[in-house]
Amino acid sequence: MINILLTTDPISEGYVILITGLLIVFGALVTLALFFNYGLPVMLYLYKIITKGKDKKISEIAVKGDEDFTGEISAVIGASIHMYFNEQHDHESGILTIKQVKKTYSPWSSKIYGVQNKL
Amino acid sequence: MSVLIFIKPVLGLGANINSVDNATVSTAQVDISEDENVFEGAFKGIEKFYNYTGFANATSGHIVMIFIGIIFIYLGIKYDYEPLLLIPIGIGVIIGNIPFVAGNQTGIYETGSVLNYLYFGVVKGIYPPLIFLGIGAMTDFSSLIANPKLMLLGGAAQIGVFATFLGALYLGFNLPEAGAIGIIGGADGPTAIFLSSKLANGVNVLADGTTVKNLIGPIAIAAYSYMALVPVIQPPLMRLLVSKKDRKIKMKPPRAVTQKEKMIFPVVALILTLFISPSALPLLGMLFFGNLLKESGRTERLAETARTKLIDIVTILLGVTVGASTQADIFITKDSMLIFGLGAISFVIATMGGLLFAKFMNLFLKEENKINPLIGAAGVSAVPDSARVVHTEGLKSDPSNYLLMHAMAPNVSGVIGSAIAAGIILSFLG
Repeated sequence: MINILLTTDPISEGYVILITGLLIVFGALVTLALFFNYGLPVMLYLYKIITKGKDKKISEIAVKGDEDFTGEISAVIGASIHMYFNEQHDHESGILTIKQVKKTYSPWSSKIYGVQNKL
Repeated sequence: MSVLIFIKPVLGLGANINSVDNATVSTAQVDISEDENVFEGAFKGIEKFYNYTGFANATSGHIVMIFIGIIFIYLGIKYDYEPLLLIPIGIGVIIGNIPFVAGNQTGIYETGSVLNYLYFGVVKGIYPPLIFLGIGAMTDFSSLIANPKLMLLGGAAQIGVFATFLGALYLGFNLPEAGAIGIIGGADGPTAIFLSSKLANGVNVLADGTTVKNLIGPIAIAAYSYMALVPVIQPPLMRLLVSKKDRKIKMKPPRAVTQKEKMIFPVVALILTLFISPSALPLLGMLFFGNLLKESGRTERLAETARTKLIDIVTILLGVTVGASTQADIFITKDSMLIFGLGAISFVIATMGGLLFAKFMNLFLKEENKINPLIGAAGVSAVPDSARVVHTEGLKSDPSNYLLMHAMAPNVSGVIGSAIAAGIILSFLG
């Protein structure tokens, strides 16, 4: 931990932390941005050279997305797949009905033919 | 039966009834005096029971907090403002403000109570990294990788953190407390809880012998409240600071990012950011770990658990316990009111910082590469709400301008930026 500021007043320490803090946050994010702008293509280039041989031209192996295949196209494809999976089940009305079951007549279940029946 | 066993001694009935059964009663007069004893005991028992109820112990503070809890629940259900957070927190606020007699291991601050055990995860900063694991497993950093310069907008919004920190110092809070309050401007609930649990936990002792205040509850509630209110706070600032012409700027669609780049991102970002700010290790370590689980393509099961079941479980525990930590006697203080005020200001400054920095960046960019300054507002984390707000505002100016993908870049960068800021504050003041 950094304990270099204990002797000054809190407000002065606050200003020091504000300035250094902002600089560090920006420094970290700028480093990341620079790495992904410049460092990563170089890394991938080196990787390709190591794995695929040195005779490849840079233009062939540079990190390059398909220019025509934009994020918007992938978003549309994603949305349509999502909609497809969400709407493929059938929608039911949600209304429950109880239908009266009519049984066909059978003398075997008829009460008038029971053993105890008295006419 | 168990209810009877509890109520009988409380009402003072059991002993009297037994004594009546066992006594040899010979005259009517004795009967009357025994009955009087029974009634007297019963009333005393009822009075004792009443004194244990919430009705006897309720204060105006409890009622106010219960009302606030109900408002949270109402906002979550009726207006869909971050319901996954506001509903657990709202019910937690009600749970934490049911009045009770202390000493029965009931309240969240009573050692040994169930709520106290669950609160342990907040006090020791266990829940926030687990939440970050889930966030990492559900975040797609493609837009950020495709356009790395947008990372700077996530840094610009952190000015809200440091400005609020300074504001809190001017209002009389000591350094660690001010640091914890400042992180509200990061618009990141888990980060706010993590930092306040380390700096303003009511345990740490300063060099001059004073103990820091426990501000975890007010800070967490303020952070989550303002995160939920992003759709209310940000649009007026956007309209105020960005001209109609600038709001219509259409950005170039981001390029497609390869899977290899997505896999490399968490590893490199983990190493670079944590070498700069090691104190953010629990947060950023878990964030990038979760992201690698998602992008590696080999650990889909783990990623699925992290972004669904695990984050859900932790969100429930975190929400309820943070809500319950707002016990009226601890929560309703002048400090809490100041924290709420500072929180609102920090959100405003963070949003303004992002918007203005986006305009500043445009000064150096070619016409075809200009960015829509609205996406600067997404630099405050609040994923993905602030990106959605940016998208909606963009559509209002031009119905064919889709900013969501672009806004996600500063949005996720804001998460990284606020975690780095928390690490820096922790390394200075921890």
